[in-house]
Amino acid sequence: MTTHNMLIAPDFSPERFAGWHMFNILIQKRANLNMHLNMPASHAEQEALIDAGDIQVIYANPFDAATLIREQGYRAVARPIGKSDEMVIAASANSDINCLEDLTAGSTISMANNRDVKLIGLRLLEAVDLEEADLNWTVTETYQAAARQVIKGDSQAGFFLAEVFHSFSRLTKTQLNVLIESDLADISHVLLIKEDFPDTEILMNAILNLHNDDDGKEALTELGMPQGFEPMSEEDAEFMLDLMETLMD
Amino acid sequence: MGSPLPDANKPDMPSEQITLTYHDGTSRIVYDSGVERPYPDGKLIVSRTDLDGILTHVNDAFVEISGYGVDELISQPQSILRHPDMPKAAYKDLWATAESGQKWHGYVKNLCKDGSHYWVYATVVPNVRHGKTVGYTSVRRKPSRSKIEAAIAQYADMKQNEEG
Repeated sequence: MTTHNMLIAPDFSPERFAGWHMFNILIQKRANLNMHLNMPASHAEQEALIDAGDIQVIYANPFDAATLIREQGYRAVARPIGKSDEMVIAASANSDINCLEDLTAGSTISMANNRDVKLIGLRLLEAVDLEEADLNWTVTETYQAAARQVIKGDSQAGFFLAEVFHSFSRLTKTQLNVLIESDLADISHVLLIKEDFPDTEILMNAILNLHNDDDGKEALTELGMPQGFEPMSEEDAEFMLDLMETLMD
Repeated sequence: MGSPLPDANKPDMPSEQITLTYHDGTSRIVYDSGVERPYPDGKLIVSRTDLDGILTHVNDAFVEISGYGVDELISQPQSILRHPDMPKAAYKDLWATAESGQKWHGYVKNLCKDGSHYWVYATVVPNVRHGKTVGYTSVRRKPSRSKIEAAIAQYADMKQNEEG
């Protein structure tokens, strides 16, 4: 049996790692397909894997989805229900920075390498007259490392994927002060399938029905998307990409 | 620009009555209370229109801040939100840019149903499907106070020139 490659964008919370393996095992069984799970650790690794040209299924972040759909022959087929991509800007609870207005030009922002988070964060900072060039940037390996820098006072604020921020330990969270959390609602990760993939229908059937039984529900809960996936039309995807386009500058 | 809009209802709060004339020649009475509504933190206000500027989609943030119900917005011209302080030239530029297939950015003062207003930084992009523009998506973000003050001054000048 042919083995297909599925890639998961590297920006999920570490606690979801097991969930993606459960997801892969279940859909392989139910669709009777061999799927190899690729979980790149960084955006660069993701790009290298996709450029190698043998990835049929991608759980992509919305920023990457634009290029993958419009330039690389993928189409969006599903998205998680009720799980939009949001971000948090937080400062140290011990600092003098209590609101966005307290951030000034020359401040340092810590963040992991995630372009969606940076893009949305920069859009939120427009409201206090801060642009990318006004700030210093420290890119860390993980969001946890970014949180440590903020707490230690090495940077004035951190940009975090909201889901990861909310998964931090209670101790970490008590040392951080949320300045703003986005509530964009219309932007989410999407499941993409290469246009010439022959088994789309059987794969989609397995994925869209995962929430209908206990094993599927368990995997979805592990992924933090208990309601499962909903189908996404070409127009839904194009609309989201238009929306992303408005945020680019 | 679609069907003419009915006159606005007179709000309970003190307000100035103004007759707005749109570029298609239709006009409408609106009320300006001068009260500013704060932009909802962290949110985007999103709408889509067809090629004629008729609203086909509004998100929850759009509905909430506008003061209208979804049913009062869908199928109505986007200009239902036009504030009398906005110069005609700003909308002319918006439509000319979007119709030429380009992205438009600008600061906009929008009028709510009750005569209050809110400021946004708006971006409009054409929705291109299979090579053809089928409508427009408009996304609004929160502008800084300094940008709002600059826009107030600029639009006042532009309005004066329009009327003069």
